[in-house]
Amino acid sequence: MSWIRDKELSLIERLCANILKAGPVPKHVAFIMDGNRRYAKKCHVERQEGHSQGFEKLAETLRWCLNLGICEVTVYAFSIENFKRSKEEVDGLMELARQKFTRLLEEKDKLEKHEVCIRVIGDLSLLPLDIQKLIAQAVLETKAYSKCFLNVCFAYTSRHEMSNAVREMAWGVQEGLIEPRDVSESLLDQCLYTSNSPDPDLLIRTSGEVRLSDFLLWQTSHACLVFQSVLWPEYTFWNLCEAVLRYQYNYSAIQKSRELYSRERSRLQNDTDQAWVQKNMCQVDHSDEEENTQVFQRLMLQCRIEREQRTLNFLRALKMKREGFLQLLCTN
Amino acid sequence: MSVLYALTWRFLHLLLGAQRALLAWLRLWHWRVWRAAGALLLPPDLAHQERGPRLDCRLLRREARCRCVQYLRQRCDCTLLPQQRSRERAQLHKLPVHIGLLIGEEQESFPDVASLVLWCMALGISYVSVYDPQGIFKQNSSRLMDEVLRLQKEECSKFPLEYANGGADGADKAFRHLPVLKVLSPEDGKPNIVKAAQNFCQLVADRQKTPADLDVDAFDHLLRSGQNFPDPDLILKFGSINSTLGFLPWHIRLSEIISLPSHVNIQYEDFFFALRCYAGAEQRLGK
Repeated sequence: MSWIRDKELSLIERLCANILKAGPVPKHVAFIMDGNRRYAKKCHVERQEGHSQGFEKLAETLRWCLNLGICEVTVYAFSIENFKRSKEEVDGLMELARQKFTRLLEEKDKLEKHEVCIRVIGDLSLLPLDIQKLIAQAVLETKAYSKCFLNVCFAYTSRHEMSNAVREMAWGVQEGLIEPRDVSESLLDQCLYTSNSPDPDLLIRTSGEVRLSDFLLWQTSHACLVFQSVLWPEYTFWNLCEAVLRYQYNYSAIQKSRELYSRERSRLQNDTDQAWVQKNMCQVDHSDEEENTQVFQRLMLQCRIEREQRTLNFLRALKMKREGFLQLLCTN
Repeated sequence: MSVLYALTWRFLHLLLGAQRALLAWLRLWHWRVWRAAGALLLPPDLAHQERGPRLDCRLLRREARCRCVQYLRQRCDCTLLPQQRSRERAQLHKLPVHIGLLIGEEQESFPDVASLVLWCMALGISYVSVYDPQGIFKQNSSRLMDEVLRLQKEECSKFPLEYANGGADGADKAFRHLPVLKVLSPEDGKPNIVKAAQNFCQLVADRQKTPADLDVDAFDHLLRSGQNFPDPDLILKFGSINSTLGFLPWHIRLSEIISLPSHVNIQYEDFFFALRCYAGAEQRLGK
């Protein structure tokens, strides 16, 4: 079973896709593909069969997303919490991953044709070594492509990701690359595993559950959430259309709240800078009012430039560290 | 061709808007009819009559009428007697410990939020937090508190309420099992996580900690900073916007998110329905 299907849409589906594309289409959609096991139970088949059908549905959904003009998709494939499942099921899921990533490496030409960049998000070190190697290979080989993006969350939870980001920042402080006051929301954003992609606009969870289950908590704080009752292996093009329609209905309100929040965010950053400058101003006290404002402005500018420089150096080091980890996996 | 698509798209959304407006109107209309019926059919003093044990069979019909009175009365002003509340509580086999009220609407109504808070308290929910993306409730938290106290007095409720904002002895309050109200704004979300991260980085800079000391539990502990507030089990989201709007990103990991169309003129039945939905949900915790 391949990762991207070549099947085209029917006429009526194409028509509807075109109508939806006349409105704002989400650039990045995240899926919680829930309901594989319930589907297997419902159809009286093995659990593993449910999971394989779920994967097939993913391949189909990726095709639909391309048709609708959605160029980035993030899927929740395996949570760190899922390691708690029975050994048999975890082994089955790992085997599925092994097969699919091997298959992915076999169909390079297809990935090249669609220019799909694959990223695997999560704590790879929790996985068996052979899967880590396969993943590293797939990620490194497709990293240059930039037309569509598929992010697979594997051995992932959002809390783990956030704590990891804080740990990376602490590492930066320890190495002397940044100072504790440089820690800000945008820096934390860029230390997450998802630093290379924009925040998802739309999050879809199937099977009727109405919670986020530790998935992209930070990134979806201003995303449109759509909960659908259909089980993942039964997901259809029309379900996807419904979700996009709901996103469009919410579009202006969400955009407004995002803007409001980004203003708040720059205000907070400005406050941090100002607090630092004022602390430094105390040491050089000028009696002249005008001179005072000039010094203040100069210090503000200097503070910002220095902060940006430090952050840039730190992020470069972090990127090198992460790529080095993948490359080491490939060569060994 | 693209003009045609754009026109169809606009038409589709017009239809959607009309459908939503119709549903909202029907909902309002539904309550108005009940209210009008209650006011017309029944003298108000009958409604407050408590139902005691009846001995006479001839009174059965009157009792039936009485029940109807109470039902209508409930629908009219939603004042419930304590024993009714405990009966209703028994209907819910699972209650949230911490409920988050997310007000995602342009319009905010302090009396309605206050009655929501009181309903939560009366059902025995220990922690209630109120959040809105513009921080209006946090700015006017004393007004909300006054409103809650006023309503509480009106209902002669026996539920003492503690206010958690700014108080350092949150853990103590939780220990005494008193219901706690907390008013939140976007500042308590991501900026709070950033602050905790800054504090940790400062400790690393002072060589008191190393990066390896931080894991999920340690960071969770840092974020709580002494306050013994559990994660919300249920988020009641009011308004048509389908988003959590920055509500505590770290803490809503396992929260069920249930939407209600509006908190303005909210009825007890709507609130109770949402709690019933919550009671029906099963959590597998990754298994």
